[in-house]
Amino acid sequence: MEAAANVVVRLVDVTKRFGEHTVVDGVSAEVCKGEVLAIVGPSGAGKSTLLRCVNLLEQPDEGRITVGGHEVDASRPLARGELAALRRHAGMVFQAFNLFPHMTVLENISFAQTRVLDLSRDEADRRSGELLERVGLADKADVYPLRCSGGQQQRAAIARALALEPQVMLFDEPTSALDPELGLEVLTVMRQLANDGMTMIVVTHEMNFAKNVADEVAVMADAKLIERGSPREVLEQPTHPRTQAFLRAVLER
Amino acid sequence: MTPAAIWTDWGEYLPTLLEGLLESLELCAASLAVGLPLALALALASAAPLRIVRWGALLLVEAGRALPAVILLQLAYYGLPSIELVLTNFVAGTAALGWITAAYGSEIFRGGIASVPEGQREAALALGVGRFDMYRSVIVPQGTRVALPALLGLAIQIFQATALAFTIGLPELMSAAYDLGNQTFRFLSVLTLAGLLYTAVVIPASFIVRRLELRMGRHLAAELR
Amino acid sequence: MDPFLTILSGLPTTIALSVLALAIGALVGLPLMLARRARILLIRVPARTAIDILRAVPPIVWLFIIFFGLAETGVQLSPFVAAVVGLGAISAGYLAEVYRGGLMAVDKGQWEAGQALGLPTRDTYRYVLAPQAWRAALPAAATYAIGLIKDTAIAYTIGVNEVLFEANHEAQLGTASPLAILAFAGLLYAILSVAVGVASRRLDRRLQLVVAR
Repeated sequence: MEAAANVVVRLVDVTKRFGEHTVVDGVSAEVCKGEVLAIVGPSGAGKSTLLRCVNLLEQPDEGRITVGGHEVDASRPLARGELAALRRHAGMVFQAFNLFPHMTVLENISFAQTRVLDLSRDEADRRSGELLERVGLADKADVYPLRCSGGQQQRAAIARALALEPQVMLFDEPTSALDPELGLEVLTVMRQLANDGMTMIVVTHEMNFAKNVADEVAVMADAKLIERGSPREVLEQPTHPRTQAFLRAVLER
Repeated sequence: MTPAAIWTDWGEYLPTLLEGLLESLELCAASLAVGLPLALALALASAAPLRIVRWGALLLVEAGRALPAVILLQLAYYGLPSIELVLTNFVAGTAALGWITAAYGSEIFRGGIASVPEGQREAALALGVGRFDMYRSVIVPQGTRVALPALLGLAIQIFQATALAFTIGLPELMSAAYDLGNQTFRFLSVLTLAGLLYTAVVIPASFIVRRLELRMGRHLAAELR
Repeated sequence: MDPFLTILSGLPTTIALSVLALAIGALVGLPLMLARRARILLIRVPARTAIDILRAVPPIVWLFIIFFGLAETGVQLSPFVAAVVGLGAISAGYLAEVYRGGLMAVDKGQWEAGQALGLPTRDTYRYVLAPQAWRAALPAAATYAIGLIKDTAIAYTIGVNEVLFEANHEAQLGTASPLAILAFAGLLYAILSVAVGVASRRLDRRLQLVVAR
């Protein structure tokens, strides 16, 4: 796991402040190829912000970020070209799906392929069709997003991110806005993705997913990464008192 | 083009124009004084149990919004004498702009009142408070607070509309500028100064309203938390 | 000739004035809005100032400045052209703000999704934000259009022979009571307003599904 060539995402001393408030405090982490890392922890701990630092939707105040071999020094102001270049290596799935409502599901997936990968419309549509099959939405290709259920929209969003063939997929609480049933559809797709070898970082409250699908679980609390290890280690034998308190609260519900 | 700059003689023009501005402000104040209470009345009337009252209110509001302000002004001043009602130009102006204030204002009040959470109504009724008191002490005050920025925005628009009273001979700012222009043949200079005077009132006022909106937005969000 | 027919004869001019001013406003308003959001101070400040002043000065004052004022500098526009220029400029100021409102109404997540996909910023604006923004702006734009139709009545003061001009003419001739004449003229504007209102509501319904808010 230490071989440099194998590391897809590396964060070194990443810090992000909003005004007086430090939301991410000197976090360092590495994620290797094919690894699934689940980030859990109390709300407001900075999990989402940390994830958004990976693809620079939030620009950190300090630290270095490497994605797919592309390194960026966050303390300098970043050019738009640099941002776009790094983001091509990471796909992101949002809690609110953020599909483009004025395009059909198929168009949503093809659109970035034509603009970013410079594919022809036909080629893009063909690949989109395959992706839709993969996430189980082949029959929704020509439907507008607002006519689909939340679970279907999120699966379409996953397909949209996959279409750019990213080296890592970032999931920001992908099922938090969904009913348990619909959430399950999405988690199933994510599990399949993991089995197919995709490198994934998932911020989630779904403890079952963390336990059964993740290779490693990291706990974030009070802006710091306080614990990391295999799911069994972290979730069943946590060493940090904060983790223990958090897990107890989770199990109480 | 004459070498005189546009702002030459502005010092001379200013007193005359300021008198006109004062007249504009008076007309604006009078129109709001008449129109705003009427606006609230129309807003409440639109929810009245009696159908005639509702439709009457609807008619007054829709007519006030559909007719151009110039036409309402001229109707009040030139049209009403046909039915034996002769008004001075100030009174006619107040009537016309007051009607417009009431029409647009009623929609604003309605929006404000509708934004008061249903729970407020239910709480009042559960406590046994009568309908009249419920409206007076619970719903209207809260609704008005929400409506305040929009009402102030309306007031600014009414001030701008006073310029149209020029067409019924009221000696307000636009009128003063036109007369002065006729006398001096320096329309561009005089009208530009007049334009600046309007700007000097409207822009700061709009700025204050925007600030108020922001502060209220934060306040409201804090309450709801 | 029948006074009411004469008043009606002003209708084409009223409509032409409204359409032209709205078109100018819609076209010029867009770069104006973009200028207002520019990062370069030298572009942003004049744009904001222009928008504020265009909206602060009453339309009648603008029309007089353009018709009588410009004449002193040698530029004598015809009443119709002066009215189109004046109302067009004012419309640009208002529509710039309407566009801005539309853009702000689009959910921030749309922008983030575009960025996360690595889309060039220009493409995000053009293909993701703009289509949603103009649909969100439509109701406010329609409301403005209705206001503009009523504002064209002011043009009679600089001699444009639209509806109110003809109405005033007839009132002076005394062919009918001023009350009847003005009421009829008012009715024409009301009908135009209602027509635009109905059309915009129909359009709005058809576009309902297409904006993320």
